[in-house]
Amino acid sequence: MAVSFPSTDYFEALKGQMAMAQEHFSRLGFIDTTFAVSVANNGKSHNYVLEFEVFELKAVHEVPSIDLKKVDFSIEGDERVWREMIENIKRNGEADTAHDINTLAHFGEQLKIHYDDPDGHDKLYRFMESIQEFFDLSSKLEVNFN
Amino acid sequence: MAYLATHDYLEDKSFVDKWLYTMRTGEMDLSWMNAKTEKITPRPQNARRGLTYRDLDVGSYGFTGVPEKVRDNRSYAPRGAEIPEGVPDAQPWVSRKSELWAFNTESYYEEAVSRQWNATTDIPWDRLEGVEMPEATGKALSQLMTFLTEVEMIATDTPAMWLPRLNPDFIEVKSFIASQAMDEARHAEVFRKRALTTGYGLMAASPMNEMALKHLRDADSFSEMSVALHLVAEGNVLTMFRFSEYLSPTDVDKKIFRLVMQDEARHVGYGMQHFKYVLDHFPEKREVLHAHLDEAENISFAGAAATEVTESFIILAGGGMKKEQLAEGIKVTTQFNLKQMYEHFERLEKCGMPERKDPNRSKLYNMFLMGKAAAEAQGITF
Repeated sequence: MAVSFPSTDYFEALKGQMAMAQEHFSRLGFIDTTFAVSVANNGKSHNYVLEFEVFELKAVHEVPSIDLKKVDFSIEGDERVWREMIENIKRNGEADTAHDINTLAHFGEQLKIHYDDPDGHDKLYRFMESIQEFFDLSSKLEVNFN
Repeated sequence: MAYLATHDYLEDKSFVDKWLYTMRTGEMDLSWMNAKTEKITPRPQNARRGLTYRDLDVGSYGFTGVPEKVRDNRSYAPRGAEIPEGVPDAQPWVSRKSELWAFNTESYYEEAVSRQWNATTDIPWDRLEGVEMPEATGKALSQLMTFLTEVEMIATDTPAMWLPRLNPDFIEVKSFIASQAMDEARHAEVFRKRALTTGYGLMAASPMNEMALKHLRDADSFSEMSVALHLVAEGNVLTMFRFSEYLSPTDVDKKIFRLVMQDEARHVGYGMQHFKYVLDHFPEKREVLHAHLDEAENISFAGAAATEVTESFIILAGGGMKKEQLAEGIKVTTQFNLKQMYEHFERLEKCGMPERKDPNRSKLYNMFLMGKAAAEAQGITF
């Protein structure tokens, strides 16, 4: 069944895929971080808070705005960039060298990382492989773009 | 052999007789069964996670109650055990909590154990089959890997050499430091393997960086080592790994840098929390920390600016050695250098040392301002 992006359903579908790949994610190790994803379109944004605990995505909810004091970091970008990333993952089974999170966000040209606390910011890197492989699960979804 | 047993047991007739008597008669002493220790029943707070060190933070076994000065235990007796007469003094160098403690150390250790990976089997080495890089970028990648292998070898030695010097009552910190040594050994392994799979062999060692790295190894105190290694050097290396991931020519290299950055970020996390703990609990040590930073910033600046490192980054960032590629490489490498310094001062500010962002307090901050102005004059922003 297709899911729309951006939507809570999209992240819930990734959560389901992550649960199905528990053995693999357990092998990658504990992932304890809460971060936000923001998808901008025509001056408006859809914001989601993702709470990861132990080996899984525990909860996801849409919020009207992101409070950086309540999350470790946020990944923010235009819907066009997110769409390109998701389509690239679908094509390749995983993000190619130009479309992984660190590359898209490194100089903030495409995705921007915001944070209040550098220790929270560093959690993006402490759990980088799990976060990347979480987004790579998009390859298993049929995604529609609003 | 520097340490001799205080007794020659093999020649002690009464000791040998007692050993034989126990075997012959089955008569036992059993006084150890009356050890005056606390009885507890620890349980996992989260069954999915398992039984963690934090779950053991109970009573006399816990880390919360460890005092600033550990005077009672100078042996290898596990914290909470009965310490009988005759236990030798293991002469730990570090028995003050403020020298090594960090909020959340036990979780950093659990995370380290949980997120171990294998440089032999977790990297898709087979995907390098048929990958051929042009000579300039291939050699630049190999130079980067040669340099990083060098860095990681000393980063393995440095925490490992402090292990026997730390009082065993700080078991969580010792465990974390042991896990760090393993992380760094794996990094040296993966970088060496990648250098050799470029097909260009290893490139040159880095005199400037070895000078800088020797400073880490020869620190006078654990705290000085931690400031120089965890906070300054690994902070810089974390930014470098993210940059290297960004520049990586293949998905194999991307994977390598994503995995090593996870470990490095954890080490930086410990360093930040230790630094913050000292500032919060022992404000009188602020000037000592400034002195450690003055030296660590000096050597990290020298290491980062080493010719063989900078030039390999420029070639990788530009994608080759044509004029326009070098111009792009210089632009991106300059952005990286500035970002590295910016993030260093940002971490210090969050740890409680904002005054470091002053050119009169930190020569490196002065260098950051100079570099930023020079970059802006060239139209380079970050």
